[in-house]
Amino acid sequence: MSHSKAPLVSPESRTSRERTAEQKAVEAEKISKYRELEGEVRAAVARKEYSPELFQLTSKLLRTNPEYYTIWNVRRRSLISGLLSKRSAGSSPSKASPSSSPTATTTTPFAASSSSSSTATPPGPESAKIGRSSSTADVSDDPIPANPDAQTAAAEQKDLEVLRSELGFTIPLLMKSPKCYWIWNHRLWILQQAIERLQVVVSRRIWEEELGLVEKMLNKDKRNFHAWGYRRHVVSQLESPSLDGKSMVEAEFEYTTKMIRQDLSNFSAWHRRSKLIPRLLDERHADDMLRKDFLDRELNFIKEKLNVGPEDYSLWYYHQFLVLNLVSYVGHPTIAPRLTLEERTIYITREIDDIKDLLEDYPDYKLIYEALLDYTLSLCQVEGRQPDSVEKEQLVEWLEQLKRLDPMRDGRWTDLEKDCGLIELSFGKN
Amino acid sequence: MDSLGDTVWDVVICGTGLQQSLLALSLSRSGKKILHIDPNEYYGGPDAAFSLQETEAWVGRHAAPSSGLFKSASITKPEGSTGLSFSRAYSLALAPQLIHSRSKLLSQLVSSRAYKQVEFLAVGSFFTFKPAADPEQKPTLARVPSTREDIAFEASLSLKAKRGLMKFLKFVLDYEGEAQRGVWGPHTDSPFNDFLQKEFKMDSDLQKYIITLTLSLDGEMSTKDGLAIIYRHLTSMGFFGPGFAAVYPKWGGISEIAQVACRAGAVGGAVYMLGTGIQAEETSSNDIQLQLTSGDTVKTKLLVRDNDKEEGTFSVSRLVAIVASPLKALFESVVEGAPLPAVSVTAFPAGSLRTDADEPYDYPVSVAVHSSDTGECPSGQSLLYFSTLSTPRSKEALNKALDSFLQAVNDEQMPERLFELYYEQGRGSVASHVDGRVLTLPNVPPSLAFDDAALDPIKTAWEVAMGEDTANTEYMMFPDREAALDDEMYDD
Repeated sequence: MSHSKAPLVSPESRTSRERTAEQKAVEAEKISKYRELEGEVRAAVARKEYSPELFQLTSKLLRTNPEYYTIWNVRRRSLISGLLSKRSAGSSPSKASPSSSPTATTTTPFAASSSSSSTATPPGPESAKIGRSSSTADVSDDPIPANPDAQTAAAEQKDLEVLRSELGFTIPLLMKSPKCYWIWNHRLWILQQAIERLQVVVSRRIWEEELGLVEKMLNKDKRNFHAWGYRRHVVSQLESPSLDGKSMVEAEFEYTTKMIRQDLSNFSAWHRRSKLIPRLLDERHADDMLRKDFLDRELNFIKEKLNVGPEDYSLWYYHQFLVLNLVSYVGHPTIAPRLTLEERTIYITREIDDIKDLLEDYPDYKLIYEALLDYTLSLCQVEGRQPDSVEKEQLVEWLEQLKRLDPMRDGRWTDLEKDCGLIELSFGKN
Repeated sequence: MDSLGDTVWDVVICGTGLQQSLLALSLSRSGKKILHIDPNEYYGGPDAAFSLQETEAWVGRHAAPSSGLFKSASITKPEGSTGLSFSRAYSLALAPQLIHSRSKLLSQLVSSRAYKQVEFLAVGSFFTFKPAADPEQKPTLARVPSTREDIAFEASLSLKAKRGLMKFLKFVLDYEGEAQRGVWGPHTDSPFNDFLQKEFKMDSDLQKYIITLTLSLDGEMSTKDGLAIIYRHLTSMGFFGPGFAAVYPKWGGISEIAQVACRAGAVGGAVYMLGTGIQAEETSSNDIQLQLTSGDTVKTKLLVRDNDKEEGTFSVSRLVAIVASPLKALFESVVEGAPLPAVSVTAFPAGSLRTDADEPYDYPVSVAVHSSDTGECPSGQSLLYFSTLSTPRSKEALNKALDSFLQAVNDEQMPERLFELYYEQGRGSVASHVDGRVLTLPNVPPSLAFDDAALDPIKTAWEVAMGEDTANTEYMMFPDREAALDDEMYDD
């Protein structure tokens, strides 16, 4: 095995203050002890001695340096080789899946979340697979036997204790390094072990506690993008058959409301909310009337927020998402797909009017003018026509405001003027 | 050991109210010889907190309508109520003031290291009292929105009202800026309500919200003062943590700070004598000679005391009620991750209360409700501190407020009233007086929230006491003491 030396991260290094000779000596001592420890671990690994002693050594090393990812691998090997119960040859292939390999660190919800959030992810149970490594995709298809013959209750109990102890081990490390990717990764590995080794009712409880932990993390840092991704993964597992799960879409929707209540600018919460809607409405078996009612409520909900935060891009994102449901409805699911053309026109017109009201008190926010521009052009598009003369005058006026408020994008506003055939009108204004 | 008379004291401080106690704290590392006395057998003076027995004794001394600071005190105990716990289970505070998170008092407690001995609790939502729409209905409490999220989620506010409130909050957060000064400058001394109506088109309901946030005693203040107070509230919001703008010291509010300050004075070498007052004074060229009620005669270069005469132009009427209910609905935290508040404030806007003759009471009334988390009453009960400007009808108005409030908050049964204390408190003196070697400190104004202006006279007194030493010393700025000494402080 070739390991490169992980960077030595010493929490006590005082780079910003002068270090006395004494402090330097103390540090040198610490460094030498660390290197000694590291040496012991590597020696044991080289001898393939995955003993309880090695396991203890990894504890010491990881407490000092949780970023040393190779040592997490060593630790996992130790767990499988000794502390966790052996699995018999007769157990199902899914149990021996590579996902329980100690080095499976590549595909995680963190990696997946960055791709899934930027595209329109299809809703439903498939999203549960996105966050998991390819090998466990098989696992989600067939339910795992709750208590295979090969494992006795005693072995399960032992495993439960070991896994809980592992989770406990990571907690103080998390407190110190809440964004350390490798700690969270280790937790996921343990949680996956729980699914594979324990009865469903037991592993489910562990995953529910994990959800609680993520919530605490999100409370501390409400807009932690990675935490939202992690949360999605935990929820999708809790919903899956492997944990005897049911849909949590209503609770998740409520959760986004709670997070918005704490901070209107929480883009992750608004984004999550928008992604939950199709599945939410499906599960409610919402008919056309309910769907229209839902749309009305959401439009009111976002407008209340826009009235206090017209400068906030997260809020405009959500309003645009709702209006897009009215404007672009061919080939993909929308909130109220059976609205007639006339109804859509009425909706969009009303939105434009309500946003114009904002100008009464907020005459200098560019996002308002952008929205008015955008929605007016969309209205014309939906109705399959060009802007009429009144609309043209308004568009010119709004583009003037945008040139004033957003001069960096002057080129864009001028281009828009040309595209809409508004240049002749705007000459009069200059 | 020297007797008291052998030393020439640098300072004799008489009284252990907040002002004198903070002075003792400020001098606690100066090495000066300080004798700190109080005619009462307890610490805190006019800012003290009392057990039930102590309350009764205090009421006995202040029952008459006198010219002192406190007067017309009385206690009402409903017949046959059995819920009252033993005397020391209660700590009724004479100065239950809430302290805004950005208050200078807190930063002084931090820089002087005295904060470690005080436990601060969160002050939660402010409410406005809304009288019943018709006789069949109950009155209600409306939460006052003070953050963007509060305003957005408040269903009762129209979109236009939301915009108006939001604009106002943004304006206040930057009210010292040039553009903003241009808007309110011309209105500096005119009534705040008028300014809200003219410049922000606020209707009376919105104005009520804003006035509630100012915690004003008479509902009237200048635009300049109103903006400063709202600014203090808004900038304090979230300063120590999500969901709250002010804190309250556990175990009796300001009295706790006075005690901690005196303790710091004692650790710094000051000699403390309770139950000791000044019988006679004689000034000479070098010092003053004081004859104490203990029989000792002492000499000092400077005497600092407070004023127990009424000099101000107004009084505040107070009603402190013990109620047999935890009133949980008032102490919910709205924001996730916010600490559970221990104090909750409700304002009754002028005109919202009607007295028996069915006439509206024209002055605001306020109530600060304290849960048992404050340590001021046993669990399962609450303390309600009502105050209003003293008028011929104020006592009646306070009782009416208590009735109406309990109607508004109760779910099933009306909570039982166990004990009620009524008294009136004068404004006291506003400024320091210096008369030769005697410095008289002003009284802390009897407002709902602590006013930082009360701290300035203490600094002045400190400068007088320090004399030339002021030059090389920073006010209220001390290093941590050695760990050993800190432990001693906890050995009570």
